[in-house]
Amino acid sequence: MILILQALINGLMTGALIAVPAIGFSAIFAVLRYPNFAIAAYATIGAFAAWWANTTLGLAVVPALAIAFAVTGVVGVVAEETSLKRLRDKGALIVAIASIALNLVLENVIRFAFGNDMKGYDLPIARDLRFGELRIGPQQLQSLALAVIIMAAMFLFLRYTRFGKAMRAVADNPDLARLKGIDPARIAIVTVFLGAGLSGVGGVLIGLDTSIDPLTGYRVLLSVFAAAVLGGLGSIPGAVVGALALGIAEEMALIVTPATYRTAVGFVAILLMLTFRPCGILGERAA
Amino acid sequence: MTAALIIAELKLDFYGVHVLRGVDFTVPAGSFTGLIGPNGAGKSTLFNAVSGLYRPKGGSVRLGAVETTGLPPEKLVAAGLVRSFQLARGFPKLSVFQHLMLYGASQPGESLLPALWRSHTARRREAELAERAHGIARRLRLDHVLDNPVTALSGGQKKLVEIGRALMADPKILLLDEPMAGVNPTLADEIAGHLTALNRDGLTICLIEHDMALIKRLCAPVIVMAEGKVLTQGSFDEVAADARVQEAYLGRRH
Repeated sequence: MILILQALINGLMTGALIAVPAIGFSAIFAVLRYPNFAIAAYATIGAFAAWWANTTLGLAVVPALAIAFAVTGVVGVVAEETSLKRLRDKGALIVAIASIALNLVLENVIRFAFGNDMKGYDLPIARDLRFGELRIGPQQLQSLALAVIIMAAMFLFLRYTRFGKAMRAVADNPDLARLKGIDPARIAIVTVFLGAGLSGVGGVLIGLDTSIDPLTGYRVLLSVFAAAVLGGLGSIPGAVVGALALGIAEEMALIVTPATYRTAVGFVAILLMLTFRPCGILGERAA
Repeated sequence: MTAALIIAELKLDFYGVHVLRGVDFTVPAGSFTGLIGPNGAGKSTLFNAVSGLYRPKGGSVRLGAVETTGLPPEKLVAAGLVRSFQLARGFPKLSVFQHLMLYGASQPGESLLPALWRSHTARRREAELAERAHGIARRLRLDHVLDNPVTALSGGQKKLVEIGRALMADPKILLLDEPMAGVNPTLADEIAGHLTALNRDGLTICLIEHDMALIKRLCAPVIVMAEGKVLTQGSFDEVAADARVQEAYLGRRH
């Protein structure tokens, strides 16, 4: 029982961290209609940007997160405008493949600049909090709180700001949005900035928990993708629900299978979802 | 007769394919002009180029006396050129009423200050628009579904919302892309009735339609497009009798 409860807590924690880049992935999909696998590299870049701010500039977690968000957002926009954008009208599959290539390039730029070694954030070491037999790390708790705040901010942005509404309008019907004077090209740039930025923040939150290296983002890419598919591609609340469900499923699977099979959970989740409900938990249309 | 819309030598390419190869025609003011042609003739593309969604490669579009070539879509809507879409998807999360309100001309809520202020004039304008939306809904018999989300409507009702939305923008000329396609015959007849009534009230309409019986009943003149150009034009009987039109539809005899 304790085992299951602990797995549930751990699942919600990892799920919340996955949810942040999953929102970024889904937002880009909703507006630009292609799956951007380069978010893995964006997550890594975010993690390194925050690490640099943290260890070199001595910044605390929150300002380092802000720097990671800005740096990754800019990298995302530059990458989009210089490479992926040209391929957009060739179809979603072509851009998706190009984003995998872009991911490799960016990942190796990081490797070239920072080396292959694992790096850790400069954080105070703290004892786990104990609730009876349940254990929670204070760092995990802080990351969870940050993830929740970031998600809430994103919801408020999409729901209440003019730009958020314009983004949703373009996602729903770009032609109609244009008749109303919304420029989809501008919306696309902001969406990529937000999506890449959120991926970067996600990379930091994931890195805070353990350590970072050039494959930090790549390791969670499948989980992020699975979470987005599970929740319904293009649906922001769906990405959150999918990430939490996947996080819990992964942790639960650890109880019965060796840790090597953890990633298999993501694949199985995608497979089951596409077989029985292709539009996802909260999705409105099949992708 | 004055012209509502003059299209001259309009050209447009897609990846090197000449989709519009110099389209020339005029929609007379107050007319109910029909635009027909086999699939792939470039009819919808022409609408997209005229309504500002695509940028033409050459040629010109004039709305009455005003040159409008290359203007962005929202400027064209403001100038009175309003179109409907073949796929009447709309914004799935909005209700019918919200849809209509969204396309009201000069919405006060669109600029930040009046939206925050909710000044007297802004409120009055909004009340006017709401009044207008209700009027249009009554006219199109959408009043009983005003608060339903557009996704809950039947295919025919969605087409009516498309027309209603266009009317909210106070159009001088309405470009309609197959507003009756895929709609059951009774509702298609009703839509045709609405369009005839609107035209009789002075609205210029240019209609893309595949149902020849409808074109024959509603439209004069009829313009036939094929392979990115205007093939011929005239009354329905004239173009129907034209051997080239039959050839374009049925394929060339070998």
